[in-house]
Amino acid sequence: MTTPTTTDPVRSKKHTSPTSPSRPTGPDDTALAWARARAGGPLRVPAGTPAPAGMLRLPEPSGDVAWLVPQVPETADTRVLAELGLAGPLLEQPNDTARLLAAVLRCCWEDPLAVIWPGTSAGSAAVLAVFGELTGPRDEMAHRRSAVAALRRLDQAGWLLWDETGDTIRLGPRVALWSGSELTTLRQLWRSMPEPASLPGSAS
Amino acid sequence: MTSIFEPVLADLGERQRDEILAAFAAVEQSPEPVPEAVAAGLRDATLRRSVAELLHLIGRTLVRAGPGTWTSGYRDDIAARLTADGGNPLPLADRAVLTLVLIHSVAIPRTEGTLSGDSWVEGTPTPIEELQRRTQLPRGELRQSLGRLRAAGLVRVVPARLRPGTVPQNTAYLPGPQFHRLTEAARRRLQEELILAAGPDTPLAAAIRRRRGPGPDGETGGDADHEKRMQ
Repeated sequence: MTTPTTTDPVRSKKHTSPTSPSRPTGPDDTALAWARARAGGPLRVPAGTPAPAGMLRLPEPSGDVAWLVPQVPETADTRVLAELGLAGPLLEQPNDTARLLAAVLRCCWEDPLAVIWPGTSAGSAAVLAVFGELTGPRDEMAHRRSAVAALRRLDQAGWLLWDETGDTIRLGPRVALWSGSELTTLRQLWRSMPEPASLPGSAS
Repeated sequence: MTSIFEPVLADLGERQRDEILAAFAAVEQSPEPVPEAVAAGLRDATLRRSVAELLHLIGRTLVRAGPGTWTSGYRDDIAARLTADGGNPLPLADRAVLTLVLIHSVAIPRTEGTLSGDSWVEGTPTPIEELQRRTQLPRGELRQSLGRLRAAGLVRVVPARLRPGTVPQNTAYLPGPQFHRLTEAARRRLQEELILAAGPDTPLAAAIRRRRGPGPDGETGGDADHEKRMQ
């Protein structure tokens, strides 16, 4: 499975890439779009912007913007590192970060037989309740602090979209790249996790 | 969807394709430079040329990090366009802390003549106490910044060098493995930016400005542009 990494530098969510909908996409524009995605995560562009070569175009449900996500062949993804005996990227607080992503997956992928992206929004209370089940009992302050830190890391890396003002969370466009076999594993994980509605404190 | 890499890979056999793609993935994803011994696509000069062609298609280039080790970085022309709008993905505090590490670990030793070469990865470790003394950030924020920079491979932790007659220090920092990703031109530009920032009135700074010529490109793109050329 593609490891969630927070090594990507912070992406500016408010900023929409200046790629014009009508501009023809030449080799250097394609190279620049890939480089922008490498530097700042998935590109947020006006709806109707053509996808540069090799990039997946994911329209937002609202219809006015879309995400562009680079897609490499499966034989060239991060799994290669393990096959070659190389270390993977360093992850801050790997356990809490992975558990929080799992909690978001459980809350925002309502039907695990449906496509994973865009999924639905979930209130942060539901996500924190599932996260609490996965981490086990903790002091309330420590629980909240570790959840917020993990939310921030995953949001900055494009694995989830956190609307801090609206206090809602969604899966990020990167999850659309997970392959069929990865989704099979994730469905099993999904079924093993507690249903958000069954947990106390899950309602906002 | 057809892969962006098809123009390079179309006429090759399956084994060659796999070796090229594995080497491509290794240099792009590995936090450290990749020894060519572990990937046939880097060992073999013909396959390595194809790896470089794949990287070129997506704005990247193959960088030799040392004898027999390889990584990837941004193409110089693409890095210039990426940083042209002054955008920078790192928070301001992280940029400040990283600049302190670069100055104390590499720039000062290089100026003093104790460090040669143009690498930004080797140098004199900067003790945490030095960072605490020089930064205007509260200790908690400095620690968080260092945590993020470390996870991003922009700094690394090393045992502090013991100086005779001093109390052993806890932790010290050097620039991280991402600095291997700088091309020769990017390494030179980083050095020039630090000279322009630290000694704008020196003859060396004047020579740099003269060589770059007038216009927006000749004025400097900011002293922290280099982060975008890494990762």
